[in-house]
Amino acid sequence: MVAIIHKRSIRDFDWLLALLAIGLVCFGATQIRHAVPGESYWIKQLIGLGIALIAMLAVAFTDYRKLLNLAPAFYIFGLLLLILVLIPGIGLKINGQRAWIKLPGNIGQFQPSEFVKVTTAMMLARYFGKNRLKALSFKEMAIGGVILALPCALILLEPDVGSVLTYFPILAAVLFLSAIKMRLVIASVILGVVMLPFAYWVGVKANLVKGYQQERIKVILDPENADRRGFGYNTWQSILTVGEGGVFGSEASTEFSQSSLKFLPEPHTDFIFAVTAGNTGFVGCMMVLLAYAILLSRLINGARRAPDRMGMLVIMAIVGGMTFQIFINIGMALGILPVIGVPLPLMSAGLASLIATFIAIGFAISVQLRRFVN
Amino acid sequence: MKFEDTSQNLRARLRGIQILVLLMLALLGVRLYVLQVVKGPHYASIAQEQRRRRLPISAPRGVIYDRNGHPLVDSRPIYNVILSREDLRGRDLSSLVEPLSEGLAVDADLLREHFDQIKSQPAFESILVKQEATPGDIAWVEARKLEFPELRVEQQPQRRYPPNGLLAHVLGYVGEISPEQLKQPAYREKNYRPGDIIGQSGLEQTYDEYLRGKDGYREVIVDSRGRIQDEIETIDPIPGQDLLTTIDLDLQLAAEEQLRTSVTGRGVIIAVDPNNGEVHALASYPTFDPNLFSQRIATKEGRAEYQSLLNDPETPLMNRAVQSRYMPGSLWKIPMAVAGLQQGAITLANSNLACGGGITIGNKFTRCMGNHGVPDVKYAITKSCDGYFYRLGLKMGIDGIVEMVDQFDLNKRTGIDIPNEVVSWTPSREFKRRMQPRDPEWRDIDTVYASFGQVYDVITPISLIRAVAAIGVGGKLYIPHLMKELRPVGEPGSSEYRSARTFQPVDPERPNPKVIPIPQDIHHEVVEGMWAVVNNYGTGAGIKMAGFEIAGKTGTAQVVALGKDVGKNKDHAWFVSYAPAYKPEIAILALIENSGFGGTHAAPAVRRVYDVYYRKTRHEEPPDAFPVAKKPNRSPARATDTVARIVD
Repeated sequence: MVAIIHKRSIRDFDWLLALLAIGLVCFGATQIRHAVPGESYWIKQLIGLGIALIAMLAVAFTDYRKLLNLAPAFYIFGLLLLILVLIPGIGLKINGQRAWIKLPGNIGQFQPSEFVKVTTAMMLARYFGKNRLKALSFKEMAIGGVILALPCALILLEPDVGSVLTYFPILAAVLFLSAIKMRLVIASVILGVVMLPFAYWVGVKANLVKGYQQERIKVILDPENADRRGFGYNTWQSILTVGEGGVFGSEASTEFSQSSLKFLPEPHTDFIFAVTAGNTGFVGCMMVLLAYAILLSRLINGARRAPDRMGMLVIMAIVGGMTFQIFINIGMALGILPVIGVPLPLMSAGLASLIATFIAIGFAISVQLRRFVN
Repeated sequence: MKFEDTSQNLRARLRGIQILVLLMLALLGVRLYVLQVVKGPHYASIAQEQRRRRLPISAPRGVIYDRNGHPLVDSRPIYNVILSREDLRGRDLSSLVEPLSEGLAVDADLLREHFDQIKSQPAFESILVKQEATPGDIAWVEARKLEFPELRVEQQPQRRYPPNGLLAHVLGYVGEISPEQLKQPAYREKNYRPGDIIGQSGLEQTYDEYLRGKDGYREVIVDSRGRIQDEIETIDPIPGQDLLTTIDLDLQLAAEEQLRTSVTGRGVIIAVDPNNGEVHALASYPTFDPNLFSQRIATKEGRAEYQSLLNDPETPLMNRAVQSRYMPGSLWKIPMAVAGLQQGAITLANSNLACGGGITIGNKFTRCMGNHGVPDVKYAITKSCDGYFYRLGLKMGIDGIVEMVDQFDLNKRTGIDIPNEVVSWTPSREFKRRMQPRDPEWRDIDTVYASFGQVYDVITPISLIRAVAAIGVGGKLYIPHLMKELRPVGEPGSSEYRSARTFQPVDPERPNPKVIPIPQDIHHEVVEGMWAVVNNYGTGAGIKMAGFEIAGKTGTAQVVALGKDVGKNKDHAWFVSYAPAYKPEIAILALIENSGFGGTHAAPAVRRVYDVYYRKTRHEEPPDAFPVAKKPNRSPARATDTVARIVD
């Protein structure tokens, strides 16, 4: 029996999905090495990949329904981690944000807010995963909002606004697929499109949007004339790095690249895509984008074939979070979005993000493995 | 989808999400295309530019020598603390004022002012924070590399000028190019940049492009904080050309000594070689210390010193030899005599004109200082008879005088190779119209005034000596100059090679010399008169030198009313000469401001310079070596006329 399951598991296992993810991490590791040649981040990333793979396999070969039934426990555990990180001595403060838990030994640090995305997605999937006969009620939306709000509130205490932003798409995807009324969706999209510039204008007039924030916006609209040495510096340097990559990658040696000479800040984490763009050029970037496109499509396909609503929702919550995070991170590197410190899934150096992403992929695989059961 | 409920159109919603995901990725792809393919080369060049830095290596400025190879000006290496602009990165300059002024002991106000001034200049490379940094300053900078990565220590040559203001007006000085200069096309063409040290006066200015050489640079790769990571290439500077001047240091020292010890300490002494225009000495007093500009101008004390020089009523910064105009008094009679004979107003056979003790024009009597009967031209020169020259002037007429002025280039710049030479004022109908618009008509009385070196004759010392020296050599009007040779630099044939140069007139069309047709007998006649001034009981008899015959002419130019004011507005004393009289080697002029009679004050000063010249060229003590100057006698006030007057 075990052997049969095993055999079937191996056959039904989504090899492409797993290999794409592993490939992206390995490719990312080479870029991390490029970005900070003297440091061992890339090795840590590969070690992290090992840990993440074990976590993925563990999740993949466990029935996702069992895990989702335990979702409240995971969710509370996640919240505890977020409380823990706020305690000085346990939480590590970097750049004014207490967002990391120092790990023993030389492994580095761990960012709970990345990990809690998964537990939140699980919790949401669990809550909305019941069989649905009618459109989403207001009460359900409110409870979904509360599930999301708890971790968000804790993360805001760190404070890490960027991370909070990446939580919303998780809820949005879940609500969208839980029969929320289309007119509500359309109304909120229109409202968003109209309100955003208006809110910005009001913010500027009322002095709520600070000068440096305006500069960060200005550098996106007109990078050549913005304050390139001040608050526009990161975006401008990222644009330069990307542009220098050209079609096939920069000719500058690794030693004297934008990142090695420290013109590009945070090259191995937030701006890893800029580094990649500089090294591999337009061709390399298109490959990366293609890999993400296939990976995400594959996940969505998996959701489509999920045996139950819960399975579908957990995958799509993950897709929503990941897509949004990819878009924010790359958009920031390409100077179309303001600088928000979120990692690029699978490529940025960072243990928590890596493990969280692979656990999410593990869920997707688990769901797919059980598509014919029941 | 087993749980699918068509009412929720779940399939469509999933598809919607999938399309949205792909659209977002496609948007990123389009943006990548724009950044990397369309604008890639543009950004690549900016990125490369920002990690490259050219660190200038100052070219050593050429040394300036006197004609015998004595160094007059050289440079020594000093260390400056500078702020590199590239590395400032939008850092607010004013926030640096306090820590820098404290750490490096520079005046905070000066630093702030300097920062404000330089901020408005778009293309500055670096900002000077402290000149001549001490080892302590350098250590301070090194220790704060992390705190102030934009600070650098740079080696630069600093100009050293001779002490006591020796030759200050000739050598000039160097200084930082000013924002105003940078706006002028003449400087723009030469690609000067803010912070460049350039010649700002004197020979330093005239020959700046040869003296300065060409700066080299080190091209390096820097990181975002300006720390040097690697060197790409080094271009060595091309040293400036050394300048050999025509100045004879011994003569110059003697000339300056004479001015310094003169009654007022103000005046001019010029010595030129009449055979080629080489200036052997050019002294203007009072003088100033050019080291102020090359070394101390950035300090508070230096600023104060400069301000006091500017405010000094004795105008020490002015080069009186080329920038001041004086009435020449009786010196004017030399070119008048030559021109009178040339134009036929008088002839060699009969050059006698009445002295008459003066002349009456209308109801106005203009007197002569003596009663000389009916002298010939020689005797009139020797005794400086005003009455004679009043009548000669009237015979020549204003047109004859204008012709004389034009012939001797007295109405033009001499073309000497130091900057800011002014043009003399010379008599003409036009000049009177401008000077006296209420009485614009040129009258005989004006001709009288114009004929003896007053009122309408206001001449620079340099153009006077040029004219008289030309008469000494029979009519060759050379352009006076201070550059003898610019020494070659580098290997012939290489791109760095700068060939030797000798003096060339700025205006290549200008003849050098300009030849004036003075018949030999006329020349002889005038020289004889001048010879007698010194050697035959003339007005300059006091400086007679046996065996080295000086031909000269004294002059005393009224400043207020002749002889009346014996205080600070006393007459200017003049003496112009050349020697030996019949085969001139050297011509010397002296002007002592407000000292009195030319024969008493200017002639002895000239004589002492001749003594030095004699010792150098004859290698023996000069005959009747001249005693040290005695205190001048006060001249009795005699003249009562309202207008100008000759004395001697």
